[in-house]
Amino acid sequence: MTKPSIPLGLVFSGSGPYAMMGREMEKSALMAIDEVNQSEEFDFTLTPHLRDPGGIVPAYHEACDDLIRNRKVEHIVGCYTSASRKQVIPIVERTERLLWHPARYEGFESSENVIYVGAAPNHTVVPLVRHMLEHVASDVFCVGSNYVWTWETNRVLREIVSSAGGRILAERLLGLGETVVDHIVKEIIGRKPPAILNTLVGESSYVFMRALHEASVRAGISIPTLSCSLCEPELKMIGSSASIGCIASSAYFESIDSLENRNFVARWKDRHGAGSHVSVDGQSTYVCVMLLARAIRRAGSADVVAVRRAAANYRYDSPQGPVWVDPDNNHCFLTPRLARSVPGCQFRIFWESEAPERPDPYLSNLDLAAIGAKLDKTADAVGRRPNYLRVVK
Amino acid sequence: MMKPSPFTVRGRHALLIMRDEREISIVRRQFNRLGMTVTETDPDQPIDPKLAADVIVLDADSISIKSDATSAKANVPVIALIGTETPSRLKWLLELRPASFLIKPLRSAGLYTALVVAFDCAQRRSEESARIEKLEDRIRSRRIVFAAVLRLMHSHALSEEDAFNLIRQTAMRHRTTIELLSAEIIALGGMPNRGSRTA
Repeated sequence: MTKPSIPLGLVFSGSGPYAMMGREMEKSALMAIDEVNQSEEFDFTLTPHLRDPGGIVPAYHEACDDLIRNRKVEHIVGCYTSASRKQVIPIVERTERLLWHPARYEGFESSENVIYVGAAPNHTVVPLVRHMLEHVASDVFCVGSNYVWTWETNRVLREIVSSAGGRILAERLLGLGETVVDHIVKEIIGRKPPAILNTLVGESSYVFMRALHEASVRAGISIPTLSCSLCEPELKMIGSSASIGCIASSAYFESIDSLENRNFVARWKDRHGAGSHVSVDGQSTYVCVMLLARAIRRAGSADVVAVRRAAANYRYDSPQGPVWVDPDNNHCFLTPRLARSVPGCQFRIFWESEAPERPDPYLSNLDLAAIGAKLDKTADAVGRRPNYLRVVK
Repeated sequence: MMKPSPFTVRGRHALLIMRDEREISIVRRQFNRLGMTVTETDPDQPIDPKLAADVIVLDADSISIKSDATSAKANVPVIALIGTETPSRLKWLLELRPASFLIKPLRSAGLYTALVVAFDCAQRRSEESARIEKLEDRIRSRRIVFAAVLRLMHSHALSEEDAFNLIRQTAMRHRTTIELLSAEIIALGGMPNRGSRTA
């Protein structure tokens, strides 16, 4: 007996300025769909309908409109940038569909018609800045791409750092896709800041990391560099020596040591080659499809209202650990982690949250005074040891 | 001069600093229904300084927060179209002192309210700044009034209160301001001697 088929829209830009991430996410979605379709645990199959907006913002609206009208999809997995998501939200809200959004983003949004599977700012930037203040430096040089992710990440950084008595030494912005970085590298080498926060995206970031590494080696210095978006496939793009030693914040690293993740990575490499790497956004796209399939199964239908209700608080033991949707804001409980990049395009995880953290897209629960207090220089070494940190081997 | 009512929008001209074609067509259609004319400018283009606009509709999401979008038109009320509610974006927006705003996605409903609020806000702001200017003038001339009061206290042997009352009553009779009469008192060395009306 053939199982009933449920149409599913996939909207990723496999061409255009962030094509690499789009392709990684699409590959993961298709892998998850194949697994669902082959599994006896599901009494239905998912039929993917792929659309490639080519990184052109208005094309996202057209792609979703077509999927909803002509392919009758109730659910769409897709979008990478906030600009594209903002294009899709009006149409999914008007037609009461659900967008499953895999990418981390800057927060300050909560649509009834989006399930935010990527990390909220309390999962990424907040742990990274805490770590920086407690273990690296209180003064930081910021370099980033000139768009909303950088602006908002730097704003959160500035609030936390200044409440702890530190300083933002500079905020240098490059246009999206810009690869002329020499003036910024020169300034960094000249000023020798104790830490750098890199919120550049794509090619700008790879060129910057290579140029900074080269100049640092020549000058005989080494400046800790922090990022909340760096992932394994990007380490490969940057190149072996320049990509080592970065501190990254993410809810997923390929090196997570759990049965679910080891199996997931093995299946990924079987499918895409031993030399390929899973990215946080790829893994998150896989989680999107799995959360959706499990919610459809639980609801007994693909109906949006029923699926949203079924997904709420329904725990899934994913490659990144337990994940579930918080029905208060449609974002996910995720486990924040910090890691350092090591040879072999890998990250060595040195901290993870003890339990999945409630998503806080508006950072309403960010307690600046508590972070500042922890840094009180008069406290003794034991007192200063942050009690929310748990060292993992 | 009759103040224009904020409810009367016919004949006013709007500058649309927007990029999204669907949003532009919603605004253009609704403003045309209301009898307004519009000029469209891409957010990346500089604003034509010769262009006279009564209101600016600005797509806040389409502009880098490191740029100053409407400095060329400092006194024209701005209606901000907001998609991104991040504090970094809102902080930039506050610097523009938007007179009103609309949350995206845009619909035709709401645009008239945004216009009325913007025109009313602009009217109030210009009245307030005129009033503040008048009050600042008064503060600046307080030293002169005080000097005139002192002079009359000495020359007419009056208390401070009586000297001030004399200046106030004379200013009223001469249909001038306390500040101008005080300046005259100081210039002449005493109360000017003239009829009940100033020239």
